[in-house]
Amino acid sequence: MPRVSKHNGWFAAIGFLLPCLTGLILFNLIPVAGAFTLSFTDWDGLKPIAPKDGVPAFVGLDNYASILGGDEFWRVLRNTAVYIVLYIPLILIASIAAAMLLHRPYRGVSVYRVLFYIPVLTSWVAGALIFKSILSPEYGGVNDLLNQFGIRGPGWLYDPNWAMPGIVLASIWKDMGFFALIFLGGLQGIDSSYYEAAKIDGAGPWRRFRHVTLPLLSPITFFVTVICLIFSFQLFPQVMIMTDGGPHGATQVMVERIYRYAFSYFKMGYASAFSFILFAIIFLFTWLQLKLQKKWVHYDA
Amino acid sequence: MKWNGRQWKLLALCMLVMAVLLAGCSGGGKSSGNSGGSSSGGDSGTARNNEDTGGSGDKAETVTVKFTNFSASGDNEKYLQQMKEEFEKQHPNIKVEIETLAYDDYFTQMQTRVASGTAPDAYELNYENFVSYAKKGVLLDLTPMFAGFDTSVLNKNALEAFSTDGKQYGLPASFSNVVLFYNKDLFDQANVSYPTSDWTWADAEQAAEKIRSLGDNIFGIYQPIQFWEFYKKVQQNGGSLMNADMTQFTVDTPQNVETLQHMVDRVLKTNVMPTEAQMAGMGDWDLFKSGRLGMLVTGIWAFPDFTQNITFDWDIEVEPGNTAKATHFFSNGLVINKDSKVATAAFEWLKFMSASREAAQIRVDAGWELPAVNYQDVLDKYLQVTPPNNKKAVFDSLNYLVTPPVVEQNAEMTDIIGLHLQAARDGVKSPADALRDAQKELEQRIKLQ
Amino acid sequence: MLRRYAGPFFFYVMATAIAVIVLIPFFWMISTSLKSKGALTAVPIEWIPEEISFEGYRKVFDVFPFARTILNSAFVAGLTTVVRLAAAAMAAYAFAKMRFRGRDILFAAVLATMMIPQQVTFIPLFLVMKELQLINTFTGLIAPSIFNAFAIFMMRQHMRTVNDAYLDAAVMDGATHRTIFVRLMLPLSAPILATLAVIAFMDAWNDYLWPLVMLSDPNKMTLPLALSKLSGQYATDYNTLMAGSLISIVPIVAVYLAAQKHFKAGLQVGGVKG
Repeated sequence: MPRVSKHNGWFAAIGFLLPCLTGLILFNLIPVAGAFTLSFTDWDGLKPIAPKDGVPAFVGLDNYASILGGDEFWRVLRNTAVYIVLYIPLILIASIAAAMLLHRPYRGVSVYRVLFYIPVLTSWVAGALIFKSILSPEYGGVNDLLNQFGIRGPGWLYDPNWAMPGIVLASIWKDMGFFALIFLGGLQGIDSSYYEAAKIDGAGPWRRFRHVTLPLLSPITFFVTVICLIFSFQLFPQVMIMTDGGPHGATQVMVERIYRYAFSYFKMGYASAFSFILFAIIFLFTWLQLKLQKKWVHYDA
Repeated sequence: MKWNGRQWKLLALCMLVMAVLLAGCSGGGKSSGNSGGSSSGGDSGTARNNEDTGGSGDKAETVTVKFTNFSASGDNEKYLQQMKEEFEKQHPNIKVEIETLAYDDYFTQMQTRVASGTAPDAYELNYENFVSYAKKGVLLDLTPMFAGFDTSVLNKNALEAFSTDGKQYGLPASFSNVVLFYNKDLFDQANVSYPTSDWTWADAEQAAEKIRSLGDNIFGIYQPIQFWEFYKKVQQNGGSLMNADMTQFTVDTPQNVETLQHMVDRVLKTNVMPTEAQMAGMGDWDLFKSGRLGMLVTGIWAFPDFTQNITFDWDIEVEPGNTAKATHFFSNGLVINKDSKVATAAFEWLKFMSASREAAQIRVDAGWELPAVNYQDVLDKYLQVTPPNNKKAVFDSLNYLVTPPVVEQNAEMTDIIGLHLQAARDGVKSPADALRDAQKELEQRIKLQ
Repeated sequence: MLRRYAGPFFFYVMATAIAVIVLIPFFWMISTSLKSKGALTAVPIEWIPEEISFEGYRKVFDVFPFARTILNSAFVAGLTTVVRLAAAAMAAYAFAKMRFRGRDILFAAVLATMMIPQQVTFIPLFLVMKELQLINTFTGLIAPSIFNAFAIFMMRQHMRTVNDAYLDAAVMDGATHRTIFVRLMLPLSAPILATLAVIAFMDAWNDYLWPLVMLSDPNKMTLPLALSKLSGQYATDYNTLMAGSLISIVPIVAVYLAAQKHFKAGLQVGGVKG
C-alpha cells in the first residue's frame, strides 16, 4: 500500500466511495431490504402496500417452506445446473481462444474485433428468433450442417433433452465476443517483456501460454468465472424468448419462475422468497470461489 | 500528456453530473433539460402527474383523464386518435391523454404502476388479467355509474364478461371470436366441398385428410393444442374443465380425454396437423398465408392481415362441433383505477369508446376489431366488408359463445393445463395421463373458494 | 520461409472462419429485414430474398418519431456510461489500493448485490424512485447506474495488478491519493475503461424494462421501447423488427470503434515494470 499513511483510512477513502455508496444504499440496499421483507408476506405485487389495511399479510416462513418442500424448485435448480455445467467451460475456452486470436497485431485485426462483437450488440429479441430458426430440426442450418457429416441432428428446442443444449449454443454465440473483449483487455495488460524473457528461455508457444499468459491472465479469468457463474444462475431472456420454459418445462429455470410468480401469477412474496434462496446459492458458490482464488490467482508479478 | 486534460474534464463532468442528480432529487424538474425547444408535451407530462393526483380542483373547468392501452399499437393509433377527437368535441370540458404501449410487457408495466400507486385513471386489460385485477380489488366498481346508461346497446355477453362477483368492473373495448378459416383453392384441388355450418368433427377430419394427401408440405388443419382452444373444444364434446359453480376442476373426465385424443391424433396419428418440429418456429398464420394449410381455427382479428396479404381465395365458417357447437369469446376490457380522482370523467370516456355509435363506426371503418355493440346499421356495414364473404359466420358463432373459466389464479391455472397439454401434443404422455396429472396438479396448487 | 507465413496464415483462416460462423445469424437478420411480408413465410428458408423490399425499413421510420428517439437513447446511454464509469473507477481505486476498516466486507457486499435477480427488486426500486419523485425523469432513469457492481469489480481486479512499488514511487514525490488516481491509475486503466465504456453504453442503449416503467412521456421514449411497438398483440412484423434491430446496432458499433483506439493506449503509457 502506498505509504501515504496519514491519508489512509475512511477519511481518505470516503471521497472515492461516496457516489457508489449513495447509489448502493438508495438504489440497491433499500429495495433489497424491501424485497426481503416482502418475502415473508403474501403480497400479490398488485395491490398498493398499506400495512394498516393488512396489505400484505405476514406469512412468516411459509413461502420459503413451500418452495423448498415442493418439486418445482429442485426441478428448475437442476435445469439451471445443466446450463451452467455446459455453458461455463465452453464459454471460457471460446472466449480465451478468441481473445488470443484477436490479440495478434496483424492488419485488419480491428475489423475482426468488431465482427466478433456484433452478436453481443444484437438484442436477445433478434438473437433468439434467429436461433430458433437455425436450430429448427427440419429446416435449420445446424441440422443441415450435421447432415453433411452424416449425423442426424436432434430435435433441439423441441426435444426436452436437447432444448437446454440449444440454449447453451445460442448463449455462447452471443456472449463469446463479450468475454473475449474482457480477456483481450487483460492480454493487452501483460507486458511483452515477460514473453521476451520466456522466448529467450526457449519456451514454445504452448509453454508460453501455460506459464506466462494463463497465470498473468488469472485475475481476469477469476473475474470472468465469478461473473459467468453469477449471470448463469440468473439465465433469463433466452429462455423466455426461445422456449418459454418448454418443452414441457425442460428449460424452466430459476429466474424464469421468479418472473412468472412475480408478474404473471401475482405472487410477489413467493417470488421474493425464491430470489433470496437463489441469492443464498449464488453467494455460497461465489464465496467458495473467493476462498479458492488464493490457490490459482496471481496478483502482481 | 493529453490524458491529463481529458481526465480532469471527465472528473469535472462527473461532479457536474452528480450535482445535477442531487438537484434532481428535490423535484422532477430536470425532465425537460435535455433538448432545448422540446415541445410542451415533455413538460406537461410531469405537470399533469401532479395535477391529477393532486386533485383537479385548480383547473376548475377542464378535467384530464389519463388513459393507457395496448390494442391501438401498431397501425391503429390514428383511429384511437379519431375517437378521442370526437369524444372531446362532445365533451369540451374533458381532455383525454392517451398512452399506447406495446403488448409485450404491458402487464409488467401496468402491475408496477398499480402497485406503486401511479396507475393511470383508465386503462385496458385483456381478459385473463382483468379477472385477477378485479378480484384483487384494484379496480373501481362501475355499477353505480350505470344509472341512466342504456346498456342494451352493448352486446350482452361482452358486458357480462366484465362483471365479477355481481359487480361491473369493466366495459368491453371490442370483442372477437374464433372461427374456422379455410383455403378455397386447396379445397378445390382436393375435390372437397366447402365447410358448412352443419359440419361436425368427422366432416372436418375427412376434409383435412384429403387435403393432407395433396403433398408433403401441405397440411389439412391447424388448431393449437393449448388452454384457450381446449377449454372450448371440450364443450363441443359435452365436457368442461370445471363444474357448473366453479368449485371443482373436472379436467380428466372421459369426454375430455376423448377430446384431447382427437386433437392429438391429428398431429401424431394422421398428421393432418403439423408437429411443433414441422412448424419449425413458424406461426400458424404464416402457414395459412403461405397457402400450405387447408383449415385454420383462429380469431377474426386476422381479417385485416389476411385481406392484405393473401393471394388465394379464402372464406370462413362457424367452427364445427361434435355433440354441440362451442365458440371462443375473446375481449379486451376497459377499466378504471380504484384510486382515480377523475372517475366520472373517465367513465364518460370509456362509455364512449365502448358503446357509442361514433366509436363503433370508426372501428368498423378501420377494420380494427369488432365493437361490442348492437347498432344494426353499424354491424351491417361490418358485414359488407369482404373478404371473407361469409362474414355472417362471425355473428352466427356468437350464438354458441362460451366464456373461459376464470379463477383468481388464472395465469397459474392456464400455465399448468398448458404444460400438460403440450406433453400430450408431443406424444410424451397419453391424453388420459396428461389430463389426470393436470387434474392432480390443479387440485394441489389452485385454491377455489 | 514457411514459418514466416504460417503465423499470419493461421490467423486469417481461423479468424475468418469464426467470423463467418458468428455472423451467419446476423446475415439472416439482414436478409429478413429486406424481405417483403409475404416472403417471410416461405419454406424452405430463403437465405437471399428473391425480391429485395425496403418495406421493413420504411415501416420503422413510420411508426415513431425516429430522430427524437435516437437522440433520447444517445443522451441516456452516453450519460449513463459517464456516470457509471466515473463512480466505479473511484470506488475501484479505493477497494484496490486504499486501506480502511471493513474494506473487504464492503467489497463482498458490493459483489453480493449482483446475486439478487433484478426481477424482484424491480418494484421496490420503482417505489423508491416514486418517493424521490423521480418518476418520468431522465434523472431517475440514469441515477441507479451510479452504482454498478460489475464495473467496480472489473476495475478493481485490474487496478490490483498495478504494482505497488510504482505507486510508492509517486508517493515519494509527494502525491496524494487523488493525484495517483488521476495521473497514474486512470491512464493505466485505459483499456479497461474503454471496454467498460462499450459495455455500459450497450447496456443502457438496449435497456428495455427500466425505461418502460420509468418513462411514460412519449417524447422521452428510447429506442427499444419504440421498437417493441412493432410487435402487436397477435402478430409480429419480423422484417420491421429486424430492420429496427439493425438500425439500433449502428450507434453501438460506432461507440465500439471509437473505444477500440484506446485498447492499445494502455501499453503506450510508460513501463509498469518496477
